[in-house]
Amino acid sequence: MDLDLIKKLVKIVDTSSVTDLEIEESGLKIKIAKKVRSSQVVTQAQIPVASAQPIIQPASTGVSETAKQKAEAEATAANQHEIKSPIVGTFYRAPAPDADSYVQIGSVVAPGSVLCIVEAMKLMNEIESDVSGKIVKILVENGKPVEYNQPLFLIELA
Amino acid sequence: MFNKILIANRGEIALRIIRTCKELGIKTVAVYSEADKNSLHVTFADEAVCIGPPFGKDSYLKIPAIISAAQVTGADAIHPGYGFLAENAGFSEICLESKLKFIGPSPEMIRAMGDKAFAKETMKKNQVPVIPGSDGVTENLEHAKGLAKEIGFPVIIKASAGGGGKGMRIVWEESEFQKAFQTAQTEAEAAFANGDVYIEKFIENPRHIEIQVMGDQHGNVYHYGERDCSIQRRHQKLIEESPSPAVDEDLRNSMGDAAVKGAQSVNYEGAGTIEFLLDKNKNFYFMEMNTRIQVEHPVTELVYDVDLVRQQILVAAGEKIETKPKKPHGHAIEFRINAEDPENNFRPSPGKITSLHFPGGFGVRNDSHIYQSYSIPPYYDSLIAKLIVWGKNRDHAIMRGKRALGEFIVEGIKTTIPFHLKVLEDERFKSGIFDTSFLEKF
Repeated sequence: MDLDLIKKLVKIVDTSSVTDLEIEESGLKIKIAKKVRSSQVVTQAQIPVASAQPIIQPASTGVSETAKQKAEAEATAANQHEIKSPIVGTFYRAPAPDADSYVQIGSVVAPGSVLCIVEAMKLMNEIESDVSGKIVKILVENGKPVEYNQPLFLIELA
Repeated sequence: MFNKILIANRGEIALRIIRTCKELGIKTVAVYSEADKNSLHVTFADEAVCIGPPFGKDSYLKIPAIISAAQVTGADAIHPGYGFLAENAGFSEICLESKLKFIGPSPEMIRAMGDKAFAKETMKKNQVPVIPGSDGVTENLEHAKGLAKEIGFPVIIKASAGGGGKGMRIVWEESEFQKAFQTAQTEAEAAFANGDVYIEKFIENPRHIEIQVMGDQHGNVYHYGERDCSIQRRHQKLIEESPSPAVDEDLRNSMGDAAVKGAQSVNYEGAGTIEFLLDKNKNFYFMEMNTRIQVEHPVTELVYDVDLVRQQILVAAGEKIETKPKKPHGHAIEFRINAEDPENNFRPSPGKITSLHFPGGFGVRNDSHIYQSYSIPPYYDSLIAKLIVWGKNRDHAIMRGKRALGEFIVEGIKTTIPFHLKVLEDERFKSGIFDTSFLEKF
C-alpha cells in the first residue's frame, strides 16, 4: 500500500470542495469521504445586560469568515471609534461598587457622556466620550489596571 | 526586602537597575513612554506599564502616572535612576505619602543639597573647604560688588536654584561686574523662576574630582574614593576615570574624609556624590552634592569591587551597607558613547542601528540598552552606551580602552566612538595632566 499516495489523496480531498472520492486500481479500492462542517456565524452580540456585572467579551469562536462577512467587518471598523485611557490607573465601570455601570453594550453616548472611572492615586477620574454613538464593546474588565492609551471602549459612530 | 521595585527611568540606567533587582530576587516594573515601546528595559522587566506619550514631561516626568503605575502593579519601592525625577524633592515626598519607598534620600535632604547656596553653607559649617565666595545669596548689586572685590577677580556669578550653565557669568574685571550681575539675575529668573544669585572665586582650569559616598539608615557613611571627570564638553562629562591621576593616597584620604563629614552632618541616606574642584596647587573646594546615583558610577564599581545600585537598594530596605570600601584596585575608565556626530559639532544623530557589535573580552563592561535594528528615539538624551574598561594601571586601561573602542561597531548612526579613540592618542590625556579646559584645546 502506497502510503504516500493515500496521504496525497487525503490532502486533495481535505483542501478542495470535493467531499467524496473513490479510486480503484490494481485490485486496491480507496474511498475517502469528508464531513461538511457547517460554518457557524457569530455576529457582534447586542446583548442587553441588566446588572453591573463585569462583562466578558463576546468571543467569536469557530468563525469561518466568508468574504461577505469580512467586508462587513471592515465596514464596521471604519465606523468604529476607540476610547483610550488618558492616564494610568484602575478601570471601574461604575461610580461605586454597588452602583449601576455608567454604560453597557448598546448604550447611546454623546460627547461629554461619562463612560467609566479610571482611578489614579485615590482620585476618581471620569472618562468622557468624545464622540456620538453606541457602545459596541467594553475592552477591559472591571477593576483591572489600565495603562496610557489602552483601549477601553469601542463605539459605533452615529 | 522589597518585593517589587518600579524603575522610574529609561535607557541604560533602567536596564542597570533591573539587572541588580533580578540578582536580588526582586520583581521589576518598567514604565515607558510610547516612544520606548521597543526598549530593552521594557523587555527585560517582569512587568511594564505605558505611562504616556513620548515627551518627558508627559511620561517620565509625570508624577501621577508613575505613582499610579506603582499602585496598580503593587510595587513597594521606586528607583528613580539619574536625571528625570531623581532629585525632585516633590517626587520623593509624594512617594513617602503614597507609602512607596523612594530609593534615594528624603525630601528634606534633596531640598537641602539642591539649594546650592545652602549646601555650601552646610559644608562650610562642617569644615569642608569651600570656594571663597558670598555667604549665601547676594542682597543687591552693591553688596555683590563689594564681595567680589574682597574675593578678588576673576569671580563667577551663579544662580542659586540653577544648573546646566544657566544664570552663570564669569567676571574678569571690576568694570564688567554690574552688567554681568544684572544679566545673570535676569537669566536665573527666566530659567528657574528664582533670580537669587551668589558669587564665588572663579578657579581657572580646575580638575573636576568627585567623591562617591554611601550612607545607611544606621548612621554609617563611607566613601569609595574619587572619580576624575575633567574631560567635559560644555559642562557635559564625556570620559571619567577612577582613580584620578592627580590624586595620591593622602589627598584621597583628605577629600574622602571631608566628603564623609559633609554627608554625615546631614544624616545622608543612600548613594551620593560630592563634587570638588581641584586647583593647580592640589587645593580642593566643595562645589556641589548630587543626591542620586550618577552616570559614571561603574568606574567606582570596578575599582572598589562594589555594586552601588545593590547598596542603594539594601540601604533603602533598612539594611547596613554590605560592602565597605578598601583600597582602590587597578584603574577604570568610562567612555560615554553618544549618538552624536563628532565631526559636525556633536550634532545629535538619532536613527536606526543597522549593525552592532559590542566589544568584549577581559576587563570590558558594556552598560547599554541598544541592540541591532533598534531605533533611537529623538526625544531623550543622546547617551546610547557606556563602555567601561578596567586595567591593572592607567596605561593598561588606556590600552584596553583603545582595543575595546576599536572593536565597537555601530552602523546606521553617528557615534562619539571615533572621538574617544582620538582622545586616547592625545599626549596630554596619556600623561594624566589635564583639567576641565582639555576639550577646548583639543
